[in-house]
Formats: sequence, C-alpha cells, structure tokens
Amino acid sequence: SLEKNISLASPTKVELTCKLDENTNLKNPQVTWKKGSETISHTSKTKNSWTIQVTISDRSQLGSYTCIVKDEKEISATFHLHVPKVEGREKPIITYEGDRAVMVCKTEHNSKAWTWYMTNGTELVAINKILHADKFQIKRPSANVNRLEILKLTKKDGGEYWCEASFDLGSSKTRFELRVLSITAPLKPFIAVVAEVAILVVTIVLYEVYSKKKGKGREKEFDQIEQL
Amino acid sequence: PAPAEAGRVPGPPDGGWGWVVVFGAFVSIGFAYAFPKGLAIFFKEIQDFFGTSYSEIAWVSSIMLATTYGAGPISSILVNRYGSRPVVMFGGLLCGVGMISAAFCTSILQLYICVGFITGFGLALNLQPSVIIIGKYFLKRRPIANGLAMAGSPVMLCTLAPLNQFLFDNFGWRGSFLILGAILLNCCVAGALFRPIGPGTARVKTQVTEEAKDALKGKITEDAPMESKAEEEEGKDCFEKVNQYLDFSLFKHRGFLIYLIGNVLMFLGFFAPIVFLAPYAKHTGIDEYSAAFLLSILAIVDMVARPTTGIVANSKWVRPRIQYFFSFAIAFNGACHLLCPLASSYTGLIVYSSFFGLAFGMVCAMLFETLMDLVGAARFTSAVGLVTIAECCTILLGPPIGGILIDTFGDYKYMFIKCGAVMVLAGTFLFIMNYYNYRMLAKEEKERKKKEEDPKCVRTENEGKKNWNKDSTQDGPELEPLRQKGEGVKKEMNGT
Repeated sequence: SLEKNISLASPTKVELTCKLDENTNLKNPQVTWKKGSETISHTSKTKNSWTIQVTISDRSQLGSYTCIVKDEKEISATFHLHVPKVEGREKPIITYEGDRAVMVCKTEHNSKAWTWYMTNGTELVAINKILHADKFQIKRPSANVNRLEILKLTKKDGGEYWCEASFDLGSSKTRFELRVLSITAPLKPFIAVVAEVAILVVTIVLYEVYSKKKGKGREKEFDQIEQL
Repeated sequence: PAPAEAGRVPGPPDGGWGWVVVFGAFVSIGFAYAFPKGLAIFFKEIQDFFGTSYSEIAWVSSIMLATTYGAGPISSILVNRYGSRPVVMFGGLLCGVGMISAAFCTSILQLYICVGFITGFGLALNLQPSVIIIGKYFLKRRPIANGLAMAGSPVMLCTLAPLNQFLFDNFGWRGSFLILGAILLNCCVAGALFRPIGPGTARVKTQVTEEAKDALKGKITEDAPMESKAEEEEGKDCFEKVNQYLDFSLFKHRGFLIYLIGNVLMFLGFFAPIVFLAPYAKHTGIDEYSAAFLLSILAIVDMVARPTTGIVANSKWVRPRIQYFFSFAIAFNGACHLLCPLASSYTGLIVYSSFFGLAFGMVCAMLFETLMDLVGAARFTSAVGLVTIAECCTILLGPPIGGILIDTFGDYKYMFIKCGAVMVLAGTFLFIMNYYNYRMLAKEEKERKKKEEDPKCVRTENEGKKNWNKDSTQDGPELEPLRQKGEGVKKEMNGT
C-alpha cells in the first residue's frame, strides 16, 4: 500500500486526493475515505479521483487518513498527518571532561518554542528553568534550529537529553545521548601508537648501523687481501 | 681495474633495499594524499561544535591541500640540501604535532593553523621527498616502483575512512585528532627507511664488484679538485647559488615546460568529478550507501590500476614512448567524464566509476614517472617542487568552478562536460607537444653523437648541463647509465 507523510505545524485546511492511474480499467470502483475506523464523506469526486477536505484546528484531527479503493481487489493509500519531526543525533555524542558539549536540534518548519530536558533518574527536568548561565547556554541561530551548550563538563553530565519543539498543533521530541570521557581514554591508544613508532624507528636505525658495520668489515677484508 | 670500467659510474640499484624504500614511499604518499580526504568525516561534528557554516569548515581542507602543494618548492630546496630522509622524518613529526595540537583547539581559526598549515606543511615534506627518492633507487624498473608507491593513496584512503569513522564513534573529534596525530608519526618510520643513496656517497649499497668500487673511489678523488673549483666559481654568483637549491633553469627545459602546461591544464578537471560523484548519485535518486559504494568501487579499481599501469609502462614497447601513454591516459579520463551524463541508471554509474577508477589510477601512477623521464633523476628534485606549486592553483580552483557550474545550471552534466573537455584538451596538447619534443630530442641526439666523435672535446660545466637536458629515453633506459659520465657525478651529489 502507498503512504505519504505530511508535516503540519499550525492549524490549516488540507485537501487529500486519491487518483487512479488512467491505464487502470476498473468497472465499478467503490472508494471510501477513513480516519481510523471512522468513515468520512467525499467532498468532491471526478472520473478518476476522490478528494476530501479536512480542517486541522487541533491535534485531535492529526492522524492517518486512508482512501480504500474496492473493485475486484482492494487497494489503499494512507496520508500520515503529523507534527513536524525533530532531527538530532542518533549516535552518542562523545565529549571530554572540562570541555563543552553541543547539541543541535533541527526541524523543517519554524518552531514556536524549544525546550530542553535532562534526565534526573527517571524524571525529565526542563533545563530552561534551571538555566545557570555558566553551565547551560541555549542559542537560537535560526527559527528552526536550536543549540544547547553544556559547559565545564563532568562525568555526571553524561546521559540522556531531550530536545522538544513546540508547534501550534503539538510538539515532538528527539533524544540525545551524551558520553563524557576522561582525557586518559584516548591517551592509551595514543601512547601505544607512539611507542610502536619509536620501536620501529630504533629498530630500523640499529639494523642500518649493524649492516654498515658488516659492510665495513668486508671492505677491510678486501683492502687487506689487496695489500697482500 | 679494467680501463673500460674506469669511466663507468654504477647506476641505481633497481632492487634490493629499493623495494623497502618503495614500501616507505607507499606509506608516505598514502598519508599525503588520503589524509585530507579522510578528514571529511569529522566536519559535520566540528561544524556543529563551533557553530560555523559548511564553507568555513571546507576551508580547513582547502588550506591543507593548498599548503601541501604550495610548499613543494620548499620541500625541494630542503631535499636538495639535506636529502630525503631528514625531510620526511621532520615532516612526519610536524604532521603529528599539528594534529595533536588540533585536538586542543578552541576556535576554527586555530584549526585552520593546526590542521591546515602545520599538518599540510608536514604532508608536503612527506610527499615530494618520497617521490624523489624513488628516482634515486630505480631506473630500469622505475615505472613499476612509481606505480606501486602511488598505489599507497587509494589503499590508505580505504584504510583511513573506516578507521576515522571508528575513532570518531568512540573518541569524538578531539580524541580522534589526538590518535590520528600519533598515527601520522608513522611517516617518521617511512622516512627512517629512506637510506641516502647516490653514486658519490661512500655508503652506496649496490651490487657493485670490487673493481667497480675502486674505480668509483678513483673517480671521486679525480673529480674532487675539479668539483671544488667549480663550486668556488658558482659561489660568487648569487643567482647560481639559488639555482643550486632550486633549479630555475628548468624553465628553459622544453620537456619540463610541456609537462607543466599540460598538467596545470589537466588538474582543472581532475578532482572535481570525485568530489561530486556521490552528490550526483544522490541527485539521480540513489540512496546514500549505494552512492558511497560507487566511491569504494573507484578506490578498489584505482588500487589495482596503479601497479598494473606501472608494469605496463615498464614494458619495452611502452617505456620509450611513455609520454604518449600518459597523454592517452589523460584523454581517456576526459572521455569517461564526457560520457558520464549518458549514464543515468545505477548500473551505468557503476560502469562509469570503474572506468573512472581505471583512468584515474593510470594517470596518477605515471604522474611523476613522466616528469622524471623528461628531466632526469637529478633535476627531478627541483622540477617536482616547481610543478606542484603551479598545479596548486588549478587544483584549488577545479572543484569550486564545478560547484558554480552545478549551482548555475542546476544540472551536474555541465560540470562533467567541462572536466571532460579540459582533460581531453590537456591530453591532446601533451600528445602533440611530446611528439614534437621526441623529434627534437632525436635531432639533438644525432648532433651530440657527432660531437662525441671528436676526442679533444673539453667538457665544461655548461656542456654537462646540456647533456642532462637531452635526457632522451628514445633509445631505451638501458643506455642511460652509459651516458652518465663523470660530469654527471657532481649533479648527483647535489641531489642526494
């Protein structure tokens, strides 16, 4: 079955149309529009298309609208009307103690308000309320982008963070995972590689000195033979 | 010692330790070309972290590339003065320091300096000397050695790309830069393998017989008084002194000029298709992973094409006419780009990527080999420096011009047509000019042979230089060592 996603931020009127391909020859197609289990009556109908008009004034009108075409077989197409989704980062954000963490949240449409949450145990606590200017900074570089900066990181700052964008018709959230590492974490592979480099260089130099000594020894032999 | 051998200087080893040097060059060249490309993985995160636009981040790459190519002459001067080994080891150290300090940067400007300038300069000190030392260790098998060493670039890219992703997922960008700094120190290991060599040095490790060695020792003591006199004369002239470190007289060399013009033109269309291949694939509706797979195909074909081209270029049919082979490779590359807009399906793009990988590998494998072939191993040190700084401008201009074409017309095909046309033009230019050059060289060779008949002919410094100019390979590489007379020894000493 066919599906389409539509993002709506504010109350609006939408027209949804199901159109049959000209090549299909259906004898007597019966088309019904449904939202969930509720049937909606068509607003207009032409030879091959069936349209409904929906007024979205609050979030209860959002959802999935399906048109079902019944002839010999049954085909359906669904429109998903929902609040704009928020984009964050799926992979964990790796930062270091003493550094700062930056989480950037984006949507397609302009958001009315942004809220950031951090988890305290199992609870979500809004950061906007406890805004300590020297620890948390929230910036809004543009209407559909929001930035949370956490300064002077400690290990305790690691964990889940949520970014919520509020629209007229509702809100959507996305999750960030923050991991705070200590500086010693990358130091171990670093020292390992530096040690490998040092060992290789010393080995190469020693091998060269050794093979030169062997060569000089042979030279001395030849000189001695010639003198004889 | 037999009188016939008294006048003969042993040629490059063409093997033995030379293959170890090729491995070192493989690593060094690989880092120099692949590292800037591999950094792209970190850019999105750094862009978010510093809150900058994409173009400001892209400058990091551009500055790095510009420094790597622009510092070519400095690299050449240092190699002329100190030899390849110290320069590469210092370069590796510089790269390491650059990336390690980049891990602690607090602004985008500091990143420009640490990643762009310092690491870029370190990579420049890696790239040139690696190519130069191959010319010192190989002659008969030089195309193979060049092909193998240049294969380092795609191999390193295929290694660095997943490695960078792994480091980034586990250590973030700061930790990754720190560890990458340590990894770049491996260039010092590569440098340690570059044992100095030259017919004048006492530590020559060739398969030389005792007699030849004695002959060599005799030659050096003979030449020493002549050499010191010549050096005194040179020291008086300041221009000559500069020339000693960076051979500007190359601009009078016909082959060098042909190579320079052809290559500068070619680089206008060389890199842009790679930069835009994945975006073009996504534009035609292909998903991100399949688009990335196209680049992998390119890299794998490239990896195989480079040593293969080296072997082909070394064969007795191609080696004397290697310049034609090079021109053909460039034109072939251009033809691929011109045909690309016709490929609209995913299969078509796979075919394009394979042929592009092949053509790209062919050109890269012979890039430095043809220059060595034209100017000879001794002047190559300066030649490569001068060529890279000239190419610097067009390399930087290529992708942005392609980007402007794409943005104005909204269609990728004009970018491909532009790149294809430029490269076909460059290939044709090189083909015609090299035909002319080969004929002129044959003529000059005939004149020189006539002069050689005269036994009382005194060989002055200038004539020695002229001999190097006429480094013709039409007779095949086997005859080259015979032409390296005593006068050639001084130039070799300079180039150690």
